[in-house]
Amino acid sequence: MADAGKGHACGVRRRGRDDEIKLVGFLCNWCSYAGADMAGTSRLAQPAALRIVRVPCSGRVDPLLVMKAFQEGADGVLVSGCHPGDCHYNEGNYYARRRLELLKRMLPYYGVEPERFHYTWVSASEGGRWAEVVAEFTAAVEPLGKLHYAGGAPAAAAGEEDGDG
Amino acid sequence: MDELVKAITAALEDCELVLGWARDPATGAGRPERFTSAGQAQEAIFDATCVHNLAVHLPRLKQRRVGIVVKGCDARSVVELVVEREVERERVQVIGVGCDGVLDLKRIWRRHGYGVAIEDDGETLLVDGSEVERQPLLQHKCRHCLDADPSIYDVVVGGRTAEGPEPRGERQELAERFREMTPSQRRDFWRRQFARCIRCYACREACPMCFCRDVCIMQTQVPHWAGGEVNPKEAEMIQLIRVGHLAGRCTGCGECERACPVEIPLMLLMEEQNRALEEMLDYRAGTDIEARPPLLTFDPDRDLWGDE
Amino acid sequence: MRIGVFVCQCGTNIAATVDTEAVAEAAMSMRDVYHAESIQYSCSDPGQRQVIAAAHQHRLDRVVIAACSPRMHETTFQRAVIQAGINPFMLEMVNIREQCSWIHEDREVATTKAIDLVAAGVARVRGQVPLKRGRVPVVGEALVVGGGIAGIQAALDIADAGMPVTLVEREPTIGGNMARLDKTFPTLDCSSCILTPRMVELKHHENIRLMVSSEVTAVRGYIGNFEVDIRKKATCVDEEKCTGCRICEEKCPSRAPDEFNAGVGESKAISIAFPQAVPLVAALRKEHCRQFIKGKCGVCKKVCPADAVDYEQEDELHTEKFGAIIVATGYRLFDWEGAYPDYGGGLYPDVITSLQYERMLSASGPTGGHIVRPSDGREPRDIVFLSCVGSRAESVGRPFCCNVGCMYIAKQAIQTREHLPDSRCYVFYMDVRACGKGYEEVYRRAQVEAGAVYLRGRVGKIYPRGDKLVVMGTDTLIGDQVEIETDLVVLAVGFAAAEGAGELARRLNIAYDGYQFFTESHPKLRPVETTTGGIFLAGACQGPKDIPASVAQASAAAAKAIRLLSREDLETSPMVAEVNHMRCIGCFKCAEVCPYNAIEKQKLHDGRTVAVIIESLCQGCGLCNVACPPQVISLRGYTDNQLISEVVEVLR
Repeated sequence: MADAGKGHACGVRRRGRDDEIKLVGFLCNWCSYAGADMAGTSRLAQPAALRIVRVPCSGRVDPLLVMKAFQEGADGVLVSGCHPGDCHYNEGNYYARRRLELLKRMLPYYGVEPERFHYTWVSASEGGRWAEVVAEFTAAVEPLGKLHYAGGAPAAAAGEEDGDG
Repeated sequence: MDELVKAITAALEDCELVLGWARDPATGAGRPERFTSAGQAQEAIFDATCVHNLAVHLPRLKQRRVGIVVKGCDARSVVELVVEREVERERVQVIGVGCDGVLDLKRIWRRHGYGVAIEDDGETLLVDGSEVERQPLLQHKCRHCLDADPSIYDVVVGGRTAEGPEPRGERQELAERFREMTPSQRRDFWRRQFARCIRCYACREACPMCFCRDVCIMQTQVPHWAGGEVNPKEAEMIQLIRVGHLAGRCTGCGECERACPVEIPLMLLMEEQNRALEEMLDYRAGTDIEARPPLLTFDPDRDLWGDE
Repeated sequence: MRIGVFVCQCGTNIAATVDTEAVAEAAMSMRDVYHAESIQYSCSDPGQRQVIAAAHQHRLDRVVIAACSPRMHETTFQRAVIQAGINPFMLEMVNIREQCSWIHEDREVATTKAIDLVAAGVARVRGQVPLKRGRVPVVGEALVVGGGIAGIQAALDIADAGMPVTLVEREPTIGGNMARLDKTFPTLDCSSCILTPRMVELKHHENIRLMVSSEVTAVRGYIGNFEVDIRKKATCVDEEKCTGCRICEEKCPSRAPDEFNAGVGESKAISIAFPQAVPLVAALRKEHCRQFIKGKCGVCKKVCPADAVDYEQEDELHTEKFGAIIVATGYRLFDWEGAYPDYGGGLYPDVITSLQYERMLSASGPTGGHIVRPSDGREPRDIVFLSCVGSRAESVGRPFCCNVGCMYIAKQAIQTREHLPDSRCYVFYMDVRACGKGYEEVYRRAQVEAGAVYLRGRVGKIYPRGDKLVVMGTDTLIGDQVEIETDLVVLAVGFAAAEGAGELARRLNIAYDGYQFFTESHPKLRPVETTTGGIFLAGACQGPKDIPASVAQASAAAAKAIRLLSREDLETSPMVAEVNHMRCIGCFKCAEVCPYNAIEKQKLHDGRTVAVIIESLCQGCGLCNVACPPQVISLRGYTDNQLISEVVEVLR
């Protein structure tokens, strides 16, 4: 692969403090990303834990991507699309709604507190609402602290028998 | 089981082959068999040792006319495969069998020795000649079975003798314990469970709904969801892929869990997902041959979750 | 792979809170980044030249610009990288202004975040491949749906530009609501006098094909290449033969409601809506016709001198191709009866709508231009006008302004004084909105010349007293209840979307709001475009509008259509889905979720049937990518691996 290129320093951890929560937001290009832009244009101060990933449509967000984010160290994941009925692709967010609602219900069984995941609808004109969504979501995840979803050491001893055999 | 032999023989007039069970000489238990002639069909059996869900073979036989012997739970897989357009109903002769629950052979063999003699009439279970309590030795799925009678069939053979068993047993207790755990306890639970995964993919191979087979994203670089290592993180991603992909497809046949050589209770997640889908959309996979897969459609008027 | 990272200071917009030098320095340590620098204004000409120069100097093949939102300047920088010899899709913009420097105060926090975002951008661009825009030819013909003034204007504009147009109108005549108006504000010129010449011009225009009594039943395809099914409904009259003599109408024994006259007066089952109808052709309404209800009559067929009546006529189905579509389906009045029981809910004959009043004012209308009370045919003396019935009324779920009520009330008050010099007009209003050119003057005329009494307030109740009506309202200026005994009440009823607007929108795949008005692509900057390329809006179908605004929008929509139709071909976005055919399992779940029917089955030489993307149809939503079980479909520019690597980087 083309990986033979320069620089292997990319793998260094960038974040300073270990107790800082990290949030990932998947925003549809047409409504929510534009709404977040509007919040910025309006200089609406927001907590800084969120990192936005732009996607064309909330329907592009594979629930697996959300879980991947948790595995890779996200302490909360936010998905935001156009309001139902306003999807740029007409119906993408309707598919998204079913998938994401199911994911939300499954998260506790995967071992993730449901508060760590939120999906919502923010239009291009709702800059104020976007700022609120970010503030509320950050405030909801903060008390839960770091997730350590995958790769961390198990809290209990590995020997305990949980299986059926 | 003359009736079953007759049904298979009749089906063979129309079909290239019929999927059923024959007795495995090594263990005396049922094993999957492809019947292609009337003579061979004489070997067909059905009893509580016929645990396999034969529907798993149907997608690969897509182009051919086949017959299949199904228990009630297996019939749901056939229905769901039709719903998923992996199987054409017209090409499949379904021979339904009445089922009183199938046995957890692994458990019996572990306790009483591999290939131990098993006799079962649906009510009384004799292992190695002596009667043992039947109910705790059934497959976990059988203990809360709602589908003992096949929902689709062209012929039905035999009937059930007993009423549906009570849901009790060690595995059921685990499911209850799992439901009571907090998310963080479940996190640890899965970490321990997945630490045992050897990445053999038996769960996938046994699943009738995993019709992607050798193009499965569990093992691809494009897309690169799971790394190649054998560790809890990748094992977890593999199961996340499975659960996600089986959303609205899993009929709860339990083959993944049965096939797992390290006995990870994989069905815990599937069961919760099936429950969630039933609550959300009143959908049970494999119960309605006219249904559309719930995640491939939507209903703006009824899907009113979320903050609106 | 050689990536260059340019961190824009945007003057102080970014640099004030983000240490752009530190971000550039951090970027230098990222994989495959061979150059990183901070630029004062990257979008300026010198800034762009700096990017181009660095790209040449460091032989860059990918560029990351950390600056403002990609929604702002992505195309600017795409053009710049093209000049540097780099494929425009090998550019990634990272938003460190709107979504970083402008919303955070702490410099360290903002800088850390900016570095994360740049790392994600670098990861993303690493997964990008050069893409080339495709080209599709454009069908050089336009479809205009709706034959009101907006549709007429749009069709004429396009036709005058030399392009063929088909205008589809579901009624038997064009003219729409404007044809029902007597006079138009602010100039009070006769509506027919200005409209009918346009209608005739349209009918005879060599570039226009007029299809009346026709509806769009299905739309397939995409910008430049729409395929539209049009159903021409059977009217039992041969359009070619009918001479418009109206003998059939005169002799027809079956009475029918007169929709053109808003229910004032009656019509016949076979009729021509109004004398200036275009085409001047009768149409038969089977649901009211004795021949069809009772199975025998045949009068019209017998009397027709042109032998134009044909009871056996069947609906015709046409399928046509168009490059652009203009939707101009107009409006109807809000169904006020159910919403206003306090106004009698339609039970009092002398409470009428402004449109019914308009028909009375018309010399060619059912009353011959005489204002009379529907109940007894007497001339009214006192007339009360109520504004904002079904407009600006949260209580009935119609919060928006109808845009025209204030003006046509003023106009009708002036006309009333002309028709009945001894009459007295009262107007209950909320606010008088007369902001257009010459509008305030009309309002003044209504008060000063026509002596209309304006009362600020809502009317609470209307009830009969003897043969009169009592209007009870509030005058908020004097702060008291007022009660007016009157002969006639005229309700300025607000706009509703045309019947079936939502259904048409779904057929066209365009967005519409909660009132079924079609939604423009951008409220300010793309006011005539829809969310679907190649479909434009004109007139009141997009929201309440007066005639000047409808005509202006129609001309704007026509200009957009002309611009599109004058092109030979169109560039398509390459950010579409693609299928790895080697691994496709042929389950076609992708096709099931595709909103654009952009996925086809294709049989390969090896016997497998696989999915293929029709690139010109694909809009790049990525639904198929998620629905594909083995994920062998990927959305270019947003592949799974690109998104995964972005996620990994922002969380590192």
